[in-house]
Amino acid sequence: MATSSSSACKDGKPMMRQGDTGDWIGTFLGHKGAVWGATLNTDATKAATAAADFTAKVWDAVSGDEVLSLAHKHIVKTVTFTQDSNCLLTGGNDKLLRIYDLSNPEAAPQEIAGHSSAIKKALWCNNDKQILSAADDKTIRLWDRSSIEEVKTLTFDTSVSSMEYVADGEILVITYGRTVAFYNALSLDLIKTVEAPAPINSASLHPEKDFFVAGGEDFKLYKFDYSTKEELESYKGHFGPVHCVRFSPDGELYASGSEDGTLRLWQTAVGKTYGLWKCVLPEDLGAENAEQLYTTTPEI
Amino acid sequence: MTTPVSVLRLPKGPDPNSRGFDPKSPRFIALCRTSIATSPASEADAEQLPREQHARSVLRESFLRCLLSMANKKIQFHMYERVTVEATFRASDIDVLNFQVSDLHTPIGVQKEALIRCQDVILFTFDA
Repeated sequence: MATSSSSACKDGKPMMRQGDTGDWIGTFLGHKGAVWGATLNTDATKAATAAADFTAKVWDAVSGDEVLSLAHKHIVKTVTFTQDSNCLLTGGNDKLLRIYDLSNPEAAPQEIAGHSSAIKKALWCNNDKQILSAADDKTIRLWDRSSIEEVKTLTFDTSVSSMEYVADGEILVITYGRTVAFYNALSLDLIKTVEAPAPINSASLHPEKDFFVAGGEDFKLYKFDYSTKEELESYKGHFGPVHCVRFSPDGELYASGSEDGTLRLWQTAVGKTYGLWKCVLPEDLGAENAEQLYTTTPEI
Repeated sequence: MTTPVSVLRLPKGPDPNSRGFDPKSPRFIALCRTSIATSPASEADAEQLPREQHARSVLRESFLRCLLSMANKKIQFHMYERVTVEATFRASDIDVLNFQVSDLHTPIGVQKEALIRCQDVILFTFDA
C-alpha cells in the first residue's frame, strides 16, 4: 500500500516523501517564508501549505506545480482539506478561520471570527460538518460549518501545543504541558488524560487505538498503552525538541519531526519487514546474501 | 534497543539539482492526468462533449474486454527496435503499466515468468 507524507519546514521548502520508505518525491517551491503547516488531501493528489509569507498555497502533488495561492492578512499557521478535497480550511495569526471553495477560488472565503489570539491548528470533524480550532488564547472551539456558530469551547490553563483528530471513533488528541488528553470530538467531553515525563509538543493515537506515541522537549519519543496509560517504551534519536509526531494511516510506522532538522521514521512493530526495514531471521545471517543487510548505519 | 534492526538502505534524499516529481517515476505515470485530453472542439461545443465521452467510454470498454480475452493466450508483442516477442499473457496491472506474462520467448532464451513494460510495446496481436 503506497502512502505519502508531506512535511512543513521553516526553510520555506515543504517536501513530499514516500510514506513507507521516506524516499524524497519532490519539493514544493514557491513560498517566501517559513512553512508552518502542510497537508495532503485524501488520495494524496493535492497538497496545501500554510506559510509566514501570508499565503496558503494549494499544490498538485503529482507534478509539484503550484495550483493556487490564497492571500491572507497575516501569517497562516494551519491548512486542511475536506474529505472530498473541495474545500480548504485555513487559520493563522489574524485570528480568523477561513473556508475556501476550491472550485471557485476567486470567491471570497467564508470567515469565522471568535478567537482572541492567533490560531495554531484547525481541522474538520464530524464528516466535515464541524470545525475544531485551537488558538493561543488557550481555547479549543467547536464550530458548526453551516451556521458558522460556536457550538462549544474548551478552556485550558496553558497553551495547547497540538491537536489531532481521529475520525474513526471521533477522538481528539490534545497536548499541553506534560499532558496528553483524549476528548470526544463531537461532545468535547474528556475521555482521559495521561502524564508524560517531559513537556509534550505532539502526540498521535495508533489507528487501532491500542497505544499512542508522544514527543516533546526532552528530544525523546514515548510510547504509551492507551487503555492502561502505562509508559511502554521511550526512544532516543533526535538531537532537538520533537515538534510533531504522526502515525501513518496503516499504523505500521510513525514519523517525528524535530528542531534538529530531521524527520525520522519509527517502526511500530520493531523487526518487521516493511518499507526499508528488513526482518532478519537468525538463520539468514550466515547466508550468502547477508552482506546486503546493514546492521550498522551505512556510509552516506 | 538491544538488537539493531536491519535496513536495506537509508531513505533517498532530495536531489540538489531539481525539485523532483520526476515525470518518469511510476508514481507520476500512475497518477498523472490522462495524456489525451478532451478535444478542443468538444470543450467548446456542449452537445459534442457527451458524444465524445460516449465514444471514449466505448473505446475504453473494448480495450478492457480485449485484455480479458487475452488471458492465458499466446500474444505477439511488437516492441521498439523491431523486436517481436511471444508470450502467454496472464495479467495487467491496474494502470496498464506492466503486463505479467509466462514463457516469454526472447532471442536469448525463454523466460518462465516476466513483466513486460507497456510503454515498450507498440502493438500486440493474438488469435482470439
